[in-house]
Amino acid sequence: MALLEKLHRRVVDMGLVPRVITLLPVISTLCALFGFISIAILPMDGQYRRTYISENALMPSQAYSYFRETEWNILRGYRSQIEETVNMTSTERNNLMGSWLQEFGTKTAIYENEEYGETLYGVMHAPRGDGTEAMVLAIPWFNSEKEFNVGGASLGVSLARFFSRWPVWSKNIIVVFSENPHAALRSWVEAYHTSLDLTGGSIEAAVVLDYSSEEDFFEYVEVSYDGLNGELPNLDLVNVAISIIEHEGMKVSLHGLPYDQLGDNDFFSRLKILCLGIRDWALSGVKNPHGNEAFSGWRIQSVTLKAHGNGGHDITTFGRIPEAMFRSINNLLEKFHQSFFFYLLLAPRQFVSISSYLPSAVALSVAFAMSSLNAFINNDYASISLFSEYNLVAVLVWFISMVLSFVISQLFLSVLPAGLLMTISLAICFLPIALSGKVHISEPLSYRLKNVAFLYFSLVSTSLLMINFAMALLIGTLAFPMTFIKTIAVERPSEPETGTRSNISIKTEPKDEMQLNEHYKEGTLEKSQQRQKLKNLLLLILTNPFISITVFGLLFDDEFQGFDIINKLVSAWIDLKCWSWFILCLGWLPCWLLILASSFESTSVVVKSKEKQS
Amino acid sequence: MIGSLAYCILGTLLLGAVAQDTAPQIGVNDSLWYPYDETLLLKPLPNNDLLLSFTFQLQSEAFDPAVSSHSFDVYEYYTTFPRAIPPLLESTATRQFHLRFTRGFWDALSWGQLPHGGKQAGASGVELWSLVQAADQEQAFQNWKKLANSLSGLFCSSLNFVDESRTTFPHRSYASGSASPLFNDTENLYLMRASLPNEPICTENLTPFIKLLPTRGHSGLTSLLDGHKLFDSLWNSISLDITTVCPENGDSLCHYEMEAHIDMATHVPSALARNERPIPKPLDGSSLRCDTDKPFDSYQCFPLPDPSETHLKLSQLFAKPIKNGNLFANRPTKICADVDRSAWTAYLSVDDTMFSTHDNCFELSNDQNESGSGYDFVLESLDTTQVSPVDPVPIHVGRSLTGNGQDRGGIRTAFHNDKDTPVKLIYFESLPWFVRVYLSSLQITSTTSSQLQEDDIIIDKYYLQAADRQRPAHLEFTMIIPAHSDIVMTYQFDKALLQFAEYPPDANHGFEIDAAVITVLSPESGSPVYEMRTSTLLLSLSTPDFSMPYNVIILTSTIMGLIFGMLYNLMVKRIVTVEEADKIMLHSGLKYKLLKLKEKLLKTKQTKID
Repeated sequence: MALLEKLHRRVVDMGLVPRVITLLPVISTLCALFGFISIAILPMDGQYRRTYISENALMPSQAYSYFRETEWNILRGYRSQIEETVNMTSTERNNLMGSWLQEFGTKTAIYENEEYGETLYGVMHAPRGDGTEAMVLAIPWFNSEKEFNVGGASLGVSLARFFSRWPVWSKNIIVVFSENPHAALRSWVEAYHTSLDLTGGSIEAAVVLDYSSEEDFFEYVEVSYDGLNGELPNLDLVNVAISIIEHEGMKVSLHGLPYDQLGDNDFFSRLKILCLGIRDWALSGVKNPHGNEAFSGWRIQSVTLKAHGNGGHDITTFGRIPEAMFRSINNLLEKFHQSFFFYLLLAPRQFVSISSYLPSAVALSVAFAMSSLNAFINNDYASISLFSEYNLVAVLVWFISMVLSFVISQLFLSVLPAGLLMTISLAICFLPIALSGKVHISEPLSYRLKNVAFLYFSLVSTSLLMINFAMALLIGTLAFPMTFIKTIAVERPSEPETGTRSNISIKTEPKDEMQLNEHYKEGTLEKSQQRQKLKNLLLLILTNPFISITVFGLLFDDEFQGFDIINKLVSAWIDLKCWSWFILCLGWLPCWLLILASSFESTSVVVKSKEKQS
Repeated sequence: MIGSLAYCILGTLLLGAVAQDTAPQIGVNDSLWYPYDETLLLKPLPNNDLLLSFTFQLQSEAFDPAVSSHSFDVYEYYTTFPRAIPPLLESTATRQFHLRFTRGFWDALSWGQLPHGGKQAGASGVELWSLVQAADQEQAFQNWKKLANSLSGLFCSSLNFVDESRTTFPHRSYASGSASPLFNDTENLYLMRASLPNEPICTENLTPFIKLLPTRGHSGLTSLLDGHKLFDSLWNSISLDITTVCPENGDSLCHYEMEAHIDMATHVPSALARNERPIPKPLDGSSLRCDTDKPFDSYQCFPLPDPSETHLKLSQLFAKPIKNGNLFANRPTKICADVDRSAWTAYLSVDDTMFSTHDNCFELSNDQNESGSGYDFVLESLDTTQVSPVDPVPIHVGRSLTGNGQDRGGIRTAFHNDKDTPVKLIYFESLPWFVRVYLSSLQITSTTSSQLQEDDIIIDKYYLQAADRQRPAHLEFTMIIPAHSDIVMTYQFDKALLQFAEYPPDANHGFEIDAAVITVLSPESGSPVYEMRTSTLLLSLSTPDFSMPYNVIILTSTIMGLIFGMLYNLMVKRIVTVEEADKIMLHSGLKYKLLKLKEKLLKTKQTKID
């Protein structure tokens, strides 16, 4: 301890502590910068790792795949019939498909959901197993782009027929035909775990097929793996899918990368996949779900395979991917547990694990903690007692803003339109300017409000970063400009007890600036104050959770138009139980409301510091 | 040979015949006939499936229960009865035991009732129950444990894992324990039951089983039994029942009876196809069966269902013919086919000659098959969809786990009665102790009739709470399922945390939960008429990362080290103010000492100079 003691004494001797305290805003920004840099260097050589199959039992592509040759004729035979079902009602279509499935011994049932339509599913009982485990092959009739999944459906039935001839299965195979890959599939998965009579044991893995073209040939396969609420499938399953696809000679696309970029593997291509990955991970469920999201939450590992393009590989090659995947999963004695559950893919065969990427989110939440500390000790009111009225009022305001946020989150679940929410959000950003000169809060309260706000946000983001890293990083980044909002202090309306500090009319945050400002004339003071007010307004608009996420969606994702994203956040909760809406409303919004409150004009207060009292 | 013959004759002479019709008789050519019976029943099922039931029955020689086998002047002799069994029964005071090895899915919806009224089929895995005579439960359990361990060795199964945490004492189920003799009136009979749902059934269980039978796989029906073929089926069950039978007429001599069954259901087209193509590769274009009503050319083919005509030889299913008759039993080996005679014909083929009978039952004689080519059995049909009617099951029961998460879950059992009469049944469930059931959460709902009360459905509840690591939860409900109704029974449970060493190998597989046993009672007499099991369930408990303890050890050691260092520092050091410390440092620090040394050196130098 002697070394620490010495260090401490040296620090005290050099007077570093006050200096560090004045530098706190800079340190906070540096922390955030460190976070961004630490994630940006991940695609550099030496920072990432090559993927590998961790569970030895999987052995992908070790067995020859037989879904080829005349299976293609059968597939075409089914397809010609399925093509005619486009205009049928879902009941007719499901009954027809059900009758085909029953022909080779599948037990079928139809799950009826009043809201989301019918889902047909069939259980093929494993001849070599105790029937307690199952693998799911899910085929939405209409894919995420609302196209009729004709290739997928014909693959589904012909694969099921093909599987029924194989005696090797030790896990039941469940084939699911749902109306769509989101709410309908999700409602089936939920019903499977609550109320279905025909079940086939606990589902270990699910593969969703999306082949919407009527063509025989396709170009490349897109693998989607993001689950809801930050859950990812075990890396082993993704690796198995990717290694099988590449083994069959196709290229793998991640996060919607187009064909011409699939061969690239340099720093920027990896950085691109990394960023797209974080975006898709954070917005998973809010974006158009591919189907694999529906299985999140029951320890089911799932991926979606989507065929893209025209020409190159035939449709049975696409069918061989689920075939080989099922052969692999069938080998498992245990649930997927060997490989990573938290990872970021940089390329189909390259990844970084949680220990590499987590520091960036930690640095961001430290940045908020620093800002909170800054608001607490880096001003004249640091010595106010912890139980002073300002602190208590700040906590009370925090509580009120929590209640308010909760009410808002609930209201928009059913009643109010997104446009109204945006208008209100924008309108209340102008409140501090509109009410300037009319409403004042005391200066210490303004600081305390910020202190509570950033502390709360730091706690939220810290608790979020383990379970939903991408979300923590996203809201941390988008909300960070909040820390630049400064307290506007105006001259106190003439009151007798202004006392010792009455000569100081205007204060901005850091002390030295304040001293500088004393030398300016009244006009310049007014001007800089006005500028700061406008800056605050801009920052407030920019960091409003709803405006901010909408702008993010519009800028970085082609899927969202207008205020779409708000509606999708709400429906993601209602249909899929995706928490993103509540993270925004209960994690971010209260903090923003506190900052809004703190940016009202404030009046300075005389503080009796402890030294003065004694 | 002569010795054993003499031994057998001696046995019969000393203790008399077991029964008049099964009395051993010495033929002209010195052949000896034993109480042994074997039959095979083939029953085509819908969807081109086929049920094969092998039945083997044999009896031991009579013995006097009053005379201990340990007494000096008692001979022990065994004829056809397996030698391993009687000493085991005697040493564990077991009056009867029932062993089941079952695997696969019985498709009750299309196949109807299980063979033998479900009484010979166990739950998936191994199931064992027995009736043991003992003075108290403790002693009964000891005997039971011994029995399970011995059977474990005998059948190469994991029955040695049967312990108190898996054993239940059934209250009303398993009433097949019917009348068993009590050799000592001061003692009682205890019925105990355990099952190992995650036991994979394979050839190593079948081989010792065949070895118990006198033909030992060399002749008769056992010559068909090949592990590869038996386990390559949709559903299979091996059962063994040993009972002690004492005549009621006061005769003091008792004997053991053994009944063994092997039942299997197989899908005939795929079984036959496997002979031609061991790997189910895609068919040739020419052998595709296409629906010509639909678009059909050399590129596309809408497949037709399996052909409805069949020509099935038993030797194709088992890759070998029946070697011979059983050669020594008092009754010939019998093969029967339970078929719809309008659509099916059954032949017995001997040396390329086909025989048929009016009742489709054939007896295999021992001497007709001289050439050694064996017997073969042929089933032919032009319309396999016409099968002799299947008995519909009295009730359909489905059981599944509900909920998600690692800390709690639920079990949902759905009863579906499509009959015109209500069904009375006993629902038996044994749940491992780490499933902490809340019986208060038991709910009965019905989708068909809304005004149902729990009391209307469950008329008698028996529930024995689990004790951690000591005893499983034991549920036995007598229920009445009304006609044409769907009844759903749900309850919730907490998942307990296991200790580190309690996790089995492959801990991440999950934990299998026993199947529920449903005994359907006859509405008139209340006696069991049908037995069935639900599927087993796979429960996932929170499983630690097994490398974690080492990380924890490293981390805690580091923290302990740091804490110790600080405490030690505090204890041995004096606490002074900074000023004091500076003052002291002036007189004792390293610098000061160096200075002193320098001074000393200089001093000595000076003095030297002086």
